[in-house]
Amino acid sequence: MKQYVIIGNGVAGAEAALELRRRLSPEEGRILLISDESPYFFSRTALMYAFMDRLDRRDLEPYERKVWDIQKIERVQARVVDLDASRRCITLESGEELSFDRCLVATGASPRMVPFEGLDAVEDGLVHFVSLDDLDACERLARTSDRAVVVGGGLIGVELVECFLHHGLEVTFLVREPYFWPAALAAEEGEMISEHIGDHGVELIHGEELHRIDVDEAGKIVAIQTTGERTLPTDILGICIGVVPTVDWLRDVTTPPTLKGGLLVDRSFATSLDGVYGAGDCVVVDLGVDGPPKHEPIWYTARDHGRLAARSILGDDVRYEPPVFYNSSKFFDVEYTTVGAVQDLPPGTGALFRSHPDKLITQRILHATDGERRVLGFNMLGSRWDHRLLQRWIEERRGLNFVRRHLHEAQFDVEFGRANLEKMNEKEILL
Amino acid sequence: MRQKGAVGWFKHDITHRGITAWILFVLLALMYFFFYYGGRTLFGAPIPDPFTPIAQGLGMPHKWTFYGLLYTIAVVAGGVLMFRRYGHNRYQVVRTSVVIFVQVTLAFAVPWILLIFEQPEFYFSYLWPLQIEYFYPSTILEMPLPFLLYSLIGSLLIVPLLGVFYGKRWYCSWVCGCGGLANTAGEPFRHLSTKSSASWLFEKWSVHLTLLLALLVTALVVASWAVGQHYPRFEETAVSLQSFYGLIVVTMLSGIIGVVVYPIGGTRVWCRFFCPMAALLGLIQKFGRFRITVKDDMCISCGLCTKYCEMGIDVRAYAQKNQDFVRASCVGCGLCAEVCPRGVLRLENRMPRDPQETLTMSSLLSRSYQ
Ligand SMILES: Cc1cc2nc3c(=O)[nH]c(=O)nc-3n(C[C@H](O)[C@H](O)[C@H](O)COP(=O)(O)OP(=O)(O)OC[C@H]3O[C@@H](n4cnc5c(N)ncnc54)[C@H](O)[C@@H]3O)c2cc1C
Ligand code: SF4
Ligand code: SF4
Repeated sequence: MKQYVIIGNGVAGAEAALELRRRLSPEEGRILLISDESPYFFSRTALMYAFMDRLDRRDLEPYERKVWDIQKIERVQARVVDLDASRRCITLESGEELSFDRCLVATGASPRMVPFEGLDAVEDGLVHFVSLDDLDACERLARTSDRAVVVGGGLIGVELVECFLHHGLEVTFLVREPYFWPAALAAEEGEMISEHIGDHGVELIHGEELHRIDVDEAGKIVAIQTTGERTLPTDILGICIGVVPTVDWLRDVTTPPTLKGGLLVDRSFATSLDGVYGAGDCVVVDLGVDGPPKHEPIWYTARDHGRLAARSILGDDVRYEPPVFYNSSKFFDVEYTTVGAVQDLPPGTGALFRSHPDKLITQRILHATDGERRVLGFNMLGSRWDHRLLQRWIEERRGLNFVRRHLHEAQFDVEFGRANLEKMNEKEILL
Repeated sequence: MRQKGAVGWFKHDITHRGITAWILFVLLALMYFFFYYGGRTLFGAPIPDPFTPIAQGLGMPHKWTFYGLLYTIAVVAGGVLMFRRYGHNRYQVVRTSVVIFVQVTLAFAVPWILLIFEQPEFYFSYLWPLQIEYFYPSTILEMPLPFLLYSLIGSLLIVPLLGVFYGKRWYCSWVCGCGGLANTAGEPFRHLSTKSSASWLFEKWSVHLTLLLALLVTALVVASWAVGQHYPRFEETAVSLQSFYGLIVVTMLSGIIGVVVYPIGGTRVWCRFFCPMAALLGLIQKFGRFRITVKDDMCISCGLCTKYCEMGIDVRAYAQKNQDFVRASCVGCGLCAEVCPRGVLRLENRMPRDPQETLTMSSLLSRSYQ
């Protein structure tokens, strides 16, 4: 019987385990799913709903607990500290060794951090929002605090802001960029979202960064200084400036794999070590001549990675083709869907920007400007879209006129609630 | 985590089976007890009847009109809560408006007005097999012809036909008073429904057995009316079965259990586990056009849809498997689609393999509505 060890029970690890079990009977393979964070796979994407009392902790688990017993997937709650590919074994923090025939590293991502001035003196009041421990810390602090500052204008930042606001805190949101989330939104949309966040009672400060953290004698945060020389008194400081692959622990193991901004894997999810694979937020996929190495720390990618890596482990001929990119999110009440290429497009690309005269509903369709004006990407705010159809149009290299004519077919709003596309104002922008 | 302060405590406590939820449960139970048994004697002890004097003071024909008033107030107040929470969602706005309208008119004002004009009290929003006595010969004989036609055509033609096209939702979450209360005043408790697979198994048996019982009782009562005078033993059985059904199903399950358990067991316990109408419509729904469509690969497995499904359906299980689904119990309340932060779900009435919507309620109505 072969032994399969999976490090990390996030969506990548858990889906890999289930995929392995689909193909291997318990007699053919023993599957161990290891994580230090939680004994059960949970949905990291739903942390904010637990914080906001909309879900209980147990609701975060996507599968009934008995699934793991039924599937004969053994769960181990422990931290892995060593990996020895030559002896094919890993070591847990307790010193216990586990041997493997195949190992999958799916350790996810951790909060990015910068050595801010004053950070060393901080004992209490600083939070991230990535793990269950972070959630506990946030809950503990929200109970006793009146003010919070959240740094970093990305997806996790805005979620944390919404949570603090829900708990009645006075929230200041510090966003370095001139408008919300330029990594994905253009100025028009970004400004609308900034305004929307402001409308909810958040003090939104653009164009300034965290400069210094001030603490009291006990090391508890009392205020922060911004680069704009503002002093913001606060009890909680939330740092949400992105995530980095959790691969630091792999640097000093017995057989360190190749790291390149993350655990480097090829298109079959194999690492540089024999018998060791990688998947999810912790990896960077080497696409060879087809493009720069890819790191996509999102749920859908991690899930697909996990399933594909499992197939690769089982000997299938896997060649990862990153699908046409898509993602979705929600900024307070505004739903967001994006498909295809919307950022870093070459100058000369066109953008058809459509906005609703009264409501916060916009569509941005990125397209080439020659020939049929092939559509390259969509950025949609405020109404629901079937990303599958949008994706297909990009794959089929459809032109702008075709897409405009058929756009209503991709609407996914609730009954009676279709956004009225006829009403939209249109503006053509040349990048 | 609950919000700070006394209000935060209360909001959490009453919606999470805390002490206040249990107190509310007891109060509701007492209220129903006095409504049903007030003025009667139980085990030799006379039970006081606080509600009849109130009803008389308000100029109402009987205490059940007063009950109707309380019910209607609850639906309207809960409806306002729905508008505040889901005012951005047209489906919820339209649906809740209809629910309130039906409750205020068909289920409250019209029966009262009928009494004033000395007509038999008739609830146009209730039909057999939910209102089982509408098919009892004794009731039928008293009904004016238009009511009788409405009742027969409604139950035998309209119910199944609309069920085929729109699923059970047109009745269960647009018209019916039980569903109406659940989807308005019950809103804060909807997430308490049990999601276990064991409850699903129980539901499949209990709801269909109640339907069977309803059919059986109707058939027996009709038969006993027709031939009963020749077979006194048979007539006796029919009468006792009829009163058994009246006590257990109508009074205990739909009246008392249906509402009293809201604060601890969630809304729609009656609808899900016992309602014969729901069972019938559920069977039709399985073969009809209604379904919930899942947007492929967009689910983040957050679980909000499952948590807020009042019928205890594990919606997330379907969503994360990219599987469109029709569950007999789904009442089409549309809350799973509403709470989903990624817009993964949509209620539809289209035939499965139809590429574009042709016969959705949306395409028929939303154009004119905009
Ligand atoms: C607040 C928040 C909201 C998000 N929302 C979205 C969203 O809306 N849409 C979206 O697409 N993505 C979202 N994401 C990103 C998404 O959650 C991640 O991409 C996804 O969870 C990655 O899964 P994973 O399996 O790669 O890793 P993870 O889920 O990070 O799991 C890795 C696990 O491995 C464990 N581990 C690490 N090192 C070790 C070790 N040495 N020994 C043992 N165990 C170890 C970790 O503790 C962790 O439990 C969100 C993330 C956060 C934090
Ligand atoms: S599945 Fe959705 S629409 Fe159906 S009952 Fe549950 S929440 Fe309502
Ligand atoms: S609410 Fe939406 S995203 Fe969350 S589990 Fe359900 S379908 Fe998936």
